[in-house]
Amino acid sequence: MSRSLKKGPFVDPKLLKKVLAQSRGAEQPIKTWARDCTIVPEFVMKTFLVHNGRDFKKVYVTENMVGHKLGEFSMTRIFRGHSGIKKTEEQQQAPK
Amino acid sequence: MPRISGVDLPAEKQVKVALTHIFGIGHALAAEILKKAGVDGNARTKALTDEEVGRISSVVESGYTTEGHLKRTVSQNINRLKEIACYRGMRHRKNLPVRGQRTKTNARTRKGPRKVVAVKRSIKAMS
Repeated sequence: MSRSLKKGPFVDPKLLKKVLAQSRGAEQPIKTWARDCTIVPEFVMKTFLVHNGRDFKKVYVTENMVGHKLGEFSMTRIFRGHSGIKKTEEQQQAPK
Repeated sequence: MPRISGVDLPAEKQVKVALTHIFGIGHALAAEILKKAGVDGNARTKALTDEEVGRISSVVESGYTTEGHLKRTVSQNINRLKEIACYRGMRHRKNLPVRGQRTKTNARTRKGPRKVVAVKRSIKAMS
């Protein structure tokens, strides 16, 4: 279900404050845990370090990303392939 | 055989059905279009006068995205998701379900036919 329009997009107030404060200063990545924060036009051209549960992924916000959430760009899972696949390859290569 | 919205040639069917042969028009939209154009949907397509065909095609072209244009819009949207490297984009790139469905089983529409992984032989069989 989509969010009610009455409320407007959810933007983490603290994060927004930080972004606005930074507007003209030296651009430094902003570390944040607010994965649920919607990307608003003010965030464009900024770099965020978005927590994924383990470490912070660098996210450079472009215009296309407006309307998405920060968390969508910081993957929380690493897929390293299925078990077994590597073993069968080794078996095939090894002489019988 | 009238042509509406570019390449489409609806056949010897009722107009309301024939219109659904256009990509981007289903039964609901077909009914809506026919109402706007003031054409009886139960009539056979071959029985349409040129003037009626003209009215239908002008309604379709003025208010609806269909066929190539619609296909392009859809693939542009998907490409946008892929480019910005968001979660949904990554799922598209990997040809996996995008909307959070399970992938432990099923998901064959996206994954395609089953790929059989060679069965690991037991130690006894190898010796």
